[in-house]
Amino acid sequence: MSKGVHKMIRTLRIAILIQCLLLFIPAVASDIPNQDQEKELLELELPKPMFVGTPKNIRTPNLERITGKSRGPFYVPKGTVLLSMEKAVTSSDYEPVIGDLEFVTDGEKSGEDGYYVELGPSVQWVQIDLGESYSLHAILIWHYHSQARVYRDVTIQVSDDPDFIEGVQTIYNNDHDNSAGLGIGRDKEYIETNDGRLINPRGVVARYVRLYSRGNTSNEMNHYVEVEVYGTPAK
Amino acid sequence: MKKSAFSGLFIFVLFLALLFRLTHLDRRPMHHDEANQAVKFGNLLETGQYRYDKFDHHGPSLYYLSLPVARLLSHTTLASLNEKTLRLVPAIFGAGLLILLLLAKGEMRGEAVLFSGLFAAISPAMVYYSRFYIQETLLVFFIVGLLIFCWRYIQRPSYGWALAAGFFAGMMYATKETSIILFGAVGMAVLFSLLFQNKDKDKKIGPAKKLIGHGCVGLIVSVLISWMFYSSFFKNSSGLWDSFRSFGLYFVKAGQPEWHAHPWYYYIKMLFFSKYGSGPVWSEALILGLAVLGCVAVFKKKDKDESQFSFSKFVIAYTLITLFVYSFIPYKTPWNLLPFYIGVILLAGGGAAFILRTAKKPVLRWGMIFVLCLGIVHLSIQSYRASFVFHADPKNPYVYAHTSEDYLNLIQRIEDVSAVHPEGKDVLIKVITNPYDTWPLPWYLRGFSRVGYWQDMRDAGDLENVPFIITSSDKLDKLPPRIVQNYQSEFYGLRPEVLLNIHIHRDLWDKFLKQR
Repeated sequence: MSKGVHKMIRTLRIAILIQCLLLFIPAVASDIPNQDQEKELLELELPKPMFVGTPKNIRTPNLERITGKSRGPFYVPKGTVLLSMEKAVTSSDYEPVIGDLEFVTDGEKSGEDGYYVELGPSVQWVQIDLGESYSLHAILIWHYHSQARVYRDVTIQVSDDPDFIEGVQTIYNNDHDNSAGLGIGRDKEYIETNDGRLINPRGVVARYVRLYSRGNTSNEMNHYVEVEVYGTPAK
Repeated sequence: MKKSAFSGLFIFVLFLALLFRLTHLDRRPMHHDEANQAVKFGNLLETGQYRYDKFDHHGPSLYYLSLPVARLLSHTTLASLNEKTLRLVPAIFGAGLLILLLLAKGEMRGEAVLFSGLFAAISPAMVYYSRFYIQETLLVFFIVGLLIFCWRYIQRPSYGWALAAGFFAGMMYATKETSIILFGAVGMAVLFSLLFQNKDKDKKIGPAKKLIGHGCVGLIVSVLISWMFYSSFFKNSSGLWDSFRSFGLYFVKAGQPEWHAHPWYYYIKMLFFSKYGSGPVWSEALILGLAVLGCVAVFKKKDKDESQFSFSKFVIAYTLITLFVYSFIPYKTPWNLLPFYIGVILLAGGGAAFILRTAKKPVLRWGMIFVLCLGIVHLSIQSYRASFVFHADPKNPYVYAHTSEDYLNLIQRIEDVSAVHPEGKDVLIKVITNPYDTWPLPWYLRGFSRVGYWQDMRDAGDLENVPFIITSSDKLDKLPPRIVQNYQSEFYGLRPEVLLNIHIHRDLWDKFLKQR
């Protein structure tokens, strides 16, 4: 046998050996304990939605929505009176879509048509001028309680400056993503009911009360049935 | 009317119908029922499988007729589907109805066909439900076909007309198994027409043997078509039988309608006059009034050359029977008015043609044209409002238990926040709601791979580290306190008076706020 043939056989043997090793390595590697390879993808079988027929159509207002929970008593300093009754109201929306701004402080709290003022979409505010500075102890708000809905980015600020540039204090803010641009608030969103939403201003002294909102869960509009501001003369 | 004038006006009417039906098909949020149908169709599209459900959702024709549209628009999965594609199917049939009306030209005057087409094109109810992914518009299309071919058969009995009538009857049944009510109405209308036909016409009916042969052909065709669809194209042998078994279930549903119980005058009142809160006035009284005139015209006709029992009388019989039965059934949803309303529209076409024909004096004629034009403009404005302004607003009478527009904000929130989660569209979402509050989430979350649906919080397993939890607002009190603390909760409107809560894990929420 020639030297060249031997060399060729040897090369072939080496090649076969390498090939065998290459085939063997993954098998060995699979036996090596490995954190990732000990795990496998957990295939979760999640429940499918149930097919059901047409849901209930609700068109009539629910004027007497029962919350199931009482708000409980709320204590204020002696001599606290309703300050906002028939006080001047201004707004970011000069021409409300429905109703008049006077509705906000006219004492009428019915949820029916004709008792609420509707402001345009996006962020809107109403502002109540109490006439002079008072120590504020309670603010009660009814946006729209004929239907279960939630108003977005409800923010209440008070100030002695009618333009709300100086001395502005925020006493309620549930704008958790700062979509109204007044800063992130930690207060909770709530469902409108005929009980109204009671806010505790903790005696803050101010003449002007400004209430913001940015649409609601039923439409893009902003509504106010009534706002009541309670307080005592500022010391 | 000259042929060219008819053609020109008909093309204009068809253009109007297409304009109202094809524009902004995705503007309105998906209704609960549309989403149910869409997910069922998505399954057929993805797997090629469909099995008739005798408990709900009616016949399979909607799904099978959606297949060519979806495939033509290159959709292969549920996730790839969109509202435009789905709603295109009823929109095509809603506009196709006008083409079908051309077949009635031999049975009605050209002017009457034109006016019927115009009213079908611009009626707010017809437009609104032609943009709704449910079976009703398809059913109306097939009803019109059945009426025309049944009438043609009565006039000139032949195997051809019997076969055509059988085809449309089969398609009606494949669309809604409850169409047996409509078969009863058409059958009675046929009976009336045969009983009251004049002697000359009697000659054309032919021997009973021939009639039985024709009847058998029609019946075989309709059963074959129904069997084809209900058996999922011969894959489900019990499908057709199940559709018969559904009669009992639908009978119970019709008698015990729960929250869908409405008074007998529900449909007529809705069409005649509706006003909700501060919303606009809605009325299709023009069409109703012209339909009454159309009836008067039929019975006042003195033209001896025409059949005493004309096509219009046949339509009157069908419409009155259907209206009576549908008004009598306590279970009512607004889209169920379409099967009798198409009869009203056909008669209104005749009524409009009649007043123009009888007003001989130019002043009177032009006066009538002016009033009709005003009415047509008013109907068009209402259609625009119904489908493009108040499309999901309860102030619209055709909006029924509809998904609020605010719901789209919930979907946008999930899309936005999931985009900052490392798992993206594979993020885990647990939905814990009652079944009526679940929909249309499965449609809107079709692009997410890990969404589970439960009715009870106890069954949903560990909730502490789930990125998204969606609950009905009535389950808010049942949330464990740790969830309340560790999650950012938001309210979203599902339907009037129905709210949903989304709870986003605090870590994910903070990450989202940082990356905004």
